[in-house]
Amino acid sequence: MTCDEFEAIGLDAERDASLTETQRAEAAAHVASCTRCSALRVSWEAARIELRSLAVATAGMNAPARVEMRLRQQFGTQYNTPRVRRTAVVAAWALAAAAVVVGAVSWVNWRNSQRANLTDKSNTPVANPGTAEQNAAPDSPTLMADNELSDFTFLPGVLPTDTDDATILEVRIQRGALGALGLPVNEDRAAEWIQVDLLVGNDGLPQAVRLPNEMRE
Amino acid sequence: MLLRRAGKGDEDAFALLYRRHQGALYRFALRMSGNAWAAEEIVQDVFMTLMRDPKKYDAARGTLGGFLYGVTRNRVLKHLERLPREVSLEEKTENGAAAGIVLQDASTPAVQAEKRERVELVWAAVLDLPAEFREAVVLCELEERSYEEAAQMIGCPIGTIRSRLHRGRALLMARLEMLRDAPRRAGLTRKAGAAK
Repeated sequence: MTCDEFEAIGLDAERDASLTETQRAEAAAHVASCTRCSALRVSWEAARIELRSLAVATAGMNAPARVEMRLRQQFGTQYNTPRVRRTAVVAAWALAAAAVVVGAVSWVNWRNSQRANLTDKSNTPVANPGTAEQNAAPDSPTLMADNELSDFTFLPGVLPTDTDDATILEVRIQRGALGALGLPVNEDRAAEWIQVDLLVGNDGLPQAVRLPNEMRE
Repeated sequence: MLLRRAGKGDEDAFALLYRRHQGALYRFALRMSGNAWAAEEIVQDVFMTLMRDPKKYDAARGTLGGFLYGVTRNRVLKHLERLPREVSLEEKTENGAAAGIVLQDASTPAVQAEKRERVELVWAAVLDLPAEFREAVVLCELEERSYEEAAQMIGCPIGTIRSRLHRGRALLMARLEMLRDAPRRAGLTRKAGAAK
């Protein structure tokens, strides 16, 4: 091995795993016989010790804590901001969808009520109580009115269609007063006070009367 | 695994990943640049890159440590290229070592001062080496990596590492001799001046 070869590969022969055993032996033989290379090796060993001291002095050094703090801050900005934005967008869409649903339900309800009003107006519960009973649902308010009206006896000369906006008045009268309304009266009991329901029209005139049950029977 | 979790927004996983790798990367950047501020910036930049685009790391091409080292190395070399145009915030000592870096030691102040002086001398000599030789010396002598590891990290054949180390050592020894002689010469000059 020449001095140049020793400088190139022999100075660190022990650490260089790519060298063969023969090359290592040659390097050892050369340094044993060459004073220049021996001095070079001593010089390098001294430099190496100093390099080790530098390595030890800087071995425990780490990046300052502020770097991690800054990175965490950036991480939060990068990952949390889009998440918050996404949540806000989803919430906005959910609110918009809820508003549409509420609007649609309200509109359907309003339309149904309008339709029901039209149906109420077109039906004449007093004139055709039977028909009204057949058409209306069992628990509808129209049916209750029809049932109430079906007990009335129309006074002579009153048409059933005139009772659309009539009001029921509960009055206490003498039985003889029924004669004035054109109804037959038992003269023996004419002075007797009875409770009757009068169906009074818009004009304030009675149109029908409902007698107590015992009288009807 | 940690990187995947970090990529999904797990901050703790990212912090763990950072703690696992920051020390080695910071020391490499510091030993190469001799500037604590620059090393700090480089490490932060490396992890910012990883945070912004974790998919840049391909597990099929090597370990995450190797990938991070590669990114750090690129940043360090860029920093060294820019260096003549930049003015360092850290003042340099007479020896040329960065004064802003505090080397910690538990021994007495006098021993500490002597040791620090010697270490700064060696560091100044290392920092004087051209970047490619310095890298080989830092990896093989300061970080005690094998030639194979160093070659793999730099991405060059072992022969190149051997050659760079050979030239780096020669320059380093010459520089160390010069630095060792400088105070001696300065002392002799002062003595001569005093004798006159």
